[in-house]
Amino acid sequence: MNFGNLLVEVEAVFSRWIKKTLRRPAFLFFSLVQPVVWFLLFTQAFRSIADIRTPIPGTSPTQFITFKDFTGTDSYLTFFSAAVIIQTVIASAMQSGMGMVTDLESGYMDKMRVAPIRRGSILAGKVLSDGVRIVLQTAIILLLGYLLGVTIGTGVGGLLLLFVIAMAFGIAWSGISTFIALVTKNSEATLMISLLTTFPLLFLSTAVMPKPLLPDWVQTVATYNPISYVADSLHNLIIFSSIDWTTLGYAALIILGVGAVTLSATTAMFRRTVSG
Amino acid sequence: MSQEADLALAPQADKGAAAPTTAEAAAQSRATKAAPKIDAIVVVKDLRKTFDPDVKAVDGISFYVQRGEIFGFLGPNGAGKSTTIKILTTLIQKTDGRVVVDGLDVEEDPAKIREIIGYAAQDVGVDDDLTGRENLRLQCKFYHLPRREIDARVDLILKKVDLVEAADRRAGTYSGGMRRRLDLAMALISKPKLLFLDEPTTGLDPQNRIAVWNYIKSLNEQGVTIFLTTQYMEEADRLADRLCIIDRGKIVAKGTPAELKAEIGADVIQIALKSDGTKNVKDVAREALLRVPGVLEVQDYDAGVAVYGKNGGTLVAQIVRMLDDAGVPITQLTLSAPSLDDVFLKHTGHQMRVEEVKPAGRTPWTRRRRPGP
Repeated sequence: MNFGNLLVEVEAVFSRWIKKTLRRPAFLFFSLVQPVVWFLLFTQAFRSIADIRTPIPGTSPTQFITFKDFTGTDSYLTFFSAAVIIQTVIASAMQSGMGMVTDLESGYMDKMRVAPIRRGSILAGKVLSDGVRIVLQTAIILLLGYLLGVTIGTGVGGLLLLFVIAMAFGIAWSGISTFIALVTKNSEATLMISLLTTFPLLFLSTAVMPKPLLPDWVQTVATYNPISYVADSLHNLIIFSSIDWTTLGYAALIILGVGAVTLSATTAMFRRTVSG
Repeated sequence: MSQEADLALAPQADKGAAAPTTAEAAAQSRATKAAPKIDAIVVVKDLRKTFDPDVKAVDGISFYVQRGEIFGFLGPNGAGKSTTIKILTTLIQKTDGRVVVDGLDVEEDPAKIREIIGYAAQDVGVDDDLTGRENLRLQCKFYHLPRREIDARVDLILKKVDLVEAADRRAGTYSGGMRRRLDLAMALISKPKLLFLDEPTTGLDPQNRIAVWNYIKSLNEQGVTIFLTTQYMEEADRLADRLCIIDRGKIVAKGTPAELKAEIGADVIQIALKSDGTKNVKDVAREALLRVPGVLEVQDYDAGVAVYGKNGGTLVAQIVRMLDDAGVPITQLTLSAPSLDDVFLKHTGHQMRVEEVKPAGRTPWTRRRRPGP
């Protein structure tokens, strides 16, 4: 047992999952259906949100606060693309646990467990491959967005940061679904519970609507909702031309916090599951 | 028996010292007195496994596996075979007792034990999305084989299990027999000293079954110790050098197949009876049969009675006449030289039912609950 072995183990598990993902394109596109539908239809149905103007009292001639004043863009499509990216990442992260269930059911997990491979490598290789899959799916969505006219205001640097955020947030969030997978050992339950528990959080965040336009109680929830901070950082990278490091810093802290909780819970549960 | 009990106790008596030395020393000191030299690769003493809430899957079993032999664990579904194998392969933890594999305590040194064992589970653990070759290469990495040796090793083992042509096809396209052979190859890739096979032929057709038998034998000839579980009498009889018969978590008999059959010491006539509901036909039959000269013993089993006696051929006519006179209706009668079936029946009072429950292949996404522990 040495460090070289550790790398071989993690790489072996990682490349196994990458191969499996690429050989089942359906698996790769399956979770993209909903984000794509949103991107194409939701933004059309709600595009006039960007035209809402609120009169400012006591101005003469009457002046208005516009959507652009709140968000920095007058396109709801551009604003909403952050929500679509987050949804893609969440849906993608929710798939993570399903592979784990398949391994538990098929007996492949036992094959790995009787081998002298570190228990941590089995999990680490899987988590890293999830990160790569999430980046791939995010890239597909960004390409679609580009075709619809969404550009990244902060350029190539912003694009790279966006991928880093998507991957880190995805890995952190995938801990939830892997945890549920290890508890339920059932793929349908994993998918349903994961989606039902995390999906509403998206609508209670600043991802879909600028904060001042949200009802009071939703504003309160949004303030404590980790997704809001990720959404704010994405809005910054997409809409503006310069990077706001404070917003990004908050997002990074939130992601680290969420990741620490979900991944340590998953690791503990994984150890319990594999120790018999 | 007592020889074995001493041996099993040896590592426990001297917990601080290295277990192998103690076990070997015990074996050697025994060897001077007893005829067969015992060199145990597995020693199990008073092993218990209880699942929540109170299911005694394994209920106090003791046995050893001799280095170099094929050791059989014979019993019906749910007897505790898989549970035992999972404890020995470090997959689940025991509730109580002591398990030593190649001198290593299963709880203290699971990682070292994993280096020297191979395991092919009842559920074939191959990755359907990968090709046969990829499955094997991955397994090499799990066992830390040097990178430069992997290609040659994989090629060799593919040839051995006759999967060269299918090597670059996805395992999902394989037939049940091919999947089983790939699974076996995966268990063997690391050249284990000790190979655990959990029902290696369940669900296979006769042709594939014989191929697997031959392969197991040839492996054993090359020096691999094999621990095999099966619910097929014939398989245990053909392959095992020594075996334990296990039923409901307890070992009911152990020895070589020949010893076990000789223990019966007589021909066996199984008589299935039809109950007419008014009286206990088994009691009536037993009473009548014990009056037949030459009948040594009569035992009840679920469908009727089993008669043990010398010269079974001449007994049959008398038995039929006697039962007819007593008014006991016979639905079926079989005469046989003692088989392991009879050994099982004699020790448990019921026949062993073989259940075929395993599907050959599996598609991902179908829900399949693991059968209880």
